Amino acid sequence: MIIAARRLSKHFQIKGTGIIGGGATLKAVDDVNIDISERSVVGVVGESGSGKSTLGRLLLALLKPTSGQVLFNIPDDILAEYDSAIESQDFKRARQIEQQYSIYVKRGNELKKMRREMGIVFQDPYSSLDPRMKVMDIVIEPMVSTGYKKGDEAKSMCMRLLDEVGLPREFAFRYPHELSGGQRQRVALARAISTLPKFLVLDEPTSALDVSVQAQILYLLKEIKNTFNISMLLITHNIAVVAYLADHVNVMYAGKLMESGPKREVILSPTHPYTIALISAVPRKLTKEERIVLKGDPPNLVSPPAGCRFHPRCPYAFNLCGWTSDEVATDLEYLLQGKYYAVFGGEIEVITKDSLSLLVKGIDSKKLSNVIEAEKDSTKSLNSISNIQDSEEGVLLNLTKFQSPGLYNVEKGKKVSCLLYSPSILVSSKENNQSTKQRVGL
Amino acid sequence: MSAILQVRELKQQFYTRQGIYKALNGIELTLNKGEVFGIAGESGSGKSTLGLTIMGLLPRNASVLAGSVLFDGIDVVAPIREYASKSDHKFSFRKNERIIKKLNKDLAGVRGKKISMVFQDPMTSLNPVLEVGYQIAETMVFHQPNVLAMRRLARAKARRADLEEAIRVIKSTQGNEIAIERFFEEKGLKGLEEQVLSIWRRPDLSDARKEKMILSLHSERLGAFESKVLRMVQEKGSTQGWFFKLPFISRFARSALLKEGYRKAVELLSALEIPNAEKIVRMHPHELSGGMRQRVVIAIALANNPEVVIMDEPTSALDVTVQAQILDLVKHLKTKFNTSFIFISHDLSVLAEVCDRIGIMYGGRLVEVAKTKELFESPAHPYTKMLIAAIPTLEEKEIQVIGGSVPDMRFPPSGCMFHPRCPYAMDICRQMAPDMIDVSEGHGAACFLYGQKRASE
Repeated sequence: MIIAARRLSKHFQIKGTGIIGGGATLKAVDDVNIDISERSVVGVVGESGSGKSTLGRLLLALLKPTSGQVLFNIPDDILAEYDSAIESQDFKRARQIEQQYSIYVKRGNELKKMRREMGIVFQDPYSSLDPRMKVMDIVIEPMVSTGYKKGDEAKSMCMRLLDEVGLPREFAFRYPHELSGGQRQRVALARAISTLPKFLVLDEPTSALDVSVQAQILYLLKEIKNTFNISMLLITHNIAVVAYLADHVNVMYAGKLMESGPKREVILSPTHPYTIALISAVPRKLTKEERIVLKGDPPNLVSPPAGCRFHPRCPYAFNLCGWTSDEVATDLEYLLQGKYYAVFGGEIEVITKDSLSLLVKGIDSKKLSNVIEAEKDSTKSLNSISNIQDSEEGVLLNLTKFQSPGLYNVEKGKKVSCLLYSPSILVSSKENNQSTKQRVGL
Repeated sequence: MSAILQVRELKQQFYTRQGIYKALNGIELTLNKGEVFGIAGESGSGKSTLGLTIMGLLPRNASVLAGSVLFDGIDVVAPIREYASKSDHKFSFRKNERIIKKLNKDLAGVRGKKISMVFQDPMTSLNPVLEVGYQIAETMVFHQPNVLAMRRLARAKARRADLEEAIRVIKSTQGNEIAIERFFEEKGLKGLEEQVLSIWRRPDLSDARKEKMILSLHSERLGAFESKVLRMVQEKGSTQGWFFKLPFISRFARSALLKEGYRKAVELLSALEIPNAEKIVRMHPHELSGGMRQRVVIAIALANNPEVVIMDEPTSALDVTVQAQILDLVKHLKTKFNTSFIFISHDLSVLAEVCDRIGIMYGGRLVEVAKTKELFESPAHPYTKMLIAAIPTLEEKEIQVIGGSVPDMRFPPSGCMFHPRCPYAMDICRQMAPDMIDVSEGHGAACFLYGQKRASE
């Protein structure tokens, strides 16, 4: 494996919020595992704020992670040994392997050497090139600073690279402002591959470009991948770009990996409800397919939803997905004050007691359970109510304890982070699961 | 179908220090009533400039050489064109600026009322220090104070019995718009119907709750002075004249109208599928997410029921899932409001979702215009073909690369603008520009591959 990330997390401290105990944390990347093998292109798709760019920077050691490891250029058998060492809690052996392969322990010359093997292309070619440097200086800079090549050798290398990315050699003596967007992105690409790296991160390489230029750059990337044998991590919000270039696709949502697998399996037959919605949201020419339009917006990562982070927007959410009493209270109040106003009048109060129980005043339990039964299909949060009982203060509702999904293996080499595919749930409630699966349309 | 907006042979250019940019080179466009017309093209093809020129929103270095934009019986660009035709030899920025300023003044009553625009980035097109409700209300207070006054007066005049009767009418006619409108007109309560109907159309409430809300409309009393001021606004149709210049009166009238404007803003936002609109109107733009902000901008554009709305890349700054929400919304708006749209985007697949007809722009000209389905199924112009082939899709398909780049519009290529990149370029393409030729009915392409209309020119 060129890159193997294990349980990678990055939490940013936000200053100035919170009164006691300092700032809140923003969980940009949470517990992500990614493998990138030699000569493969791995795509990461997600909406803005899903943590995909942060992930890219973590893999290049441009950011220090809060926890987790990234192992670089590690032979497959040693990686397997590392995984089993972690599983059997043999931390001594694991530490040894980390010392040798982790990108975060490297310092000084070793770090420089490692940087030689990595490169990055940023999104906006207008701000990622130094306006005071000529194209040649821009391309040579990483070679000199990592001690790869210098002097005339570097200059002739620069000319070769310009040929490779399809720019005329005269461009070496021009400044970035003289170039168009597509030409600048070619320069940025030449700079990224100037030290002949093994691993390249492409952070939204085409989203600032026009359609026709985007096609040129994508074509170029494919050629470069084949001539230089580079592994790439392609970060983008454009699923079509991933479909064109990548072999393997990871879907991120709110800092978590939702689905991961071979491109064809993920894009043509998505499994996770979020991936299904994301792919159906891609505008397409002349399709008559009814698209799934998700309600609401991506969550705030300072206080992400409990359980599965996608559950508040998920059209297939069920009782275990992570509902808390606040969410149920909001939905219940909305229903009772709006749709069922005629039945109960306005004198109803919904109070949350703790995270898994709430109190409804001014209503009797039978009527309430009828309402909940009737609205279960349209208001997903009500599914989590496990029992309804009368108490002195009012009707007491208890919620099912939620689970957080892990990454589960499903067929065809795909991994999905969704409780619908959790093995324990598959075994425990087969009939129930079948009905959910029917609803999902599988 | 009748044309609502006509652009004829529009030629526009910008004077800059580096030279003269020939941004538009003879645009021919007809927008029919109730249609969504899409304009696609690469950046630098002049699609945004076209939108701004239709609105008359031009900087001081812009000059219109020829052509016209006919909307609502007026030629928007006429004053600038007249100046340009006079000043052949020397273009004076200062004189042109004076003319544009006068034009802006003349168009103030049209922009935002009959024609409005939605820009790409909602964060920069909303005012960060004002509540979004205020920003929606403001356009109505400026353009239609009489409508707001009418709404408020009708509410004060309505009795409980009237509203009870109205509910009966709504129930018996299943919310039929025309019947309800007629009912309120007979009662002399014009202006109340949209308030009642907007409550009735909310999907999240029970009928009993809706009835209660409709009945509560009458309970707001109106002071004697306030009603007098509002009546004057309604009769005059504007807040101009010496009476409204008195400092106390002007402030009083404005605040009364703004209050009513907030109510209308709530109705508009809930029509745009924003939950909890009562709370949203009191928020500032930074408290809203990107999709919500863009809905607020759309609400401002639709506030005065304009005849034409120009949407300039309304979804380019948004995420895919939010973009899907907004596209869905635009599709509904087409049927709900009686409005025509010009939808500008660089993404052809976005246009395919919402548009009835699509025009492809290249080098400041429309090179192909066709119905959406026809454009994708049988594109005629080589550029359109190559553009469609260059878009990566979910299906595994090799994308085709268009060589070269968009021409520098200071020195545009001779003849057909596309000939340096065109694989089918002929001798004639280098010599003269092709006219739009009908390939089939309602499908035109400006390319010599499909013959020639006129030998001369």
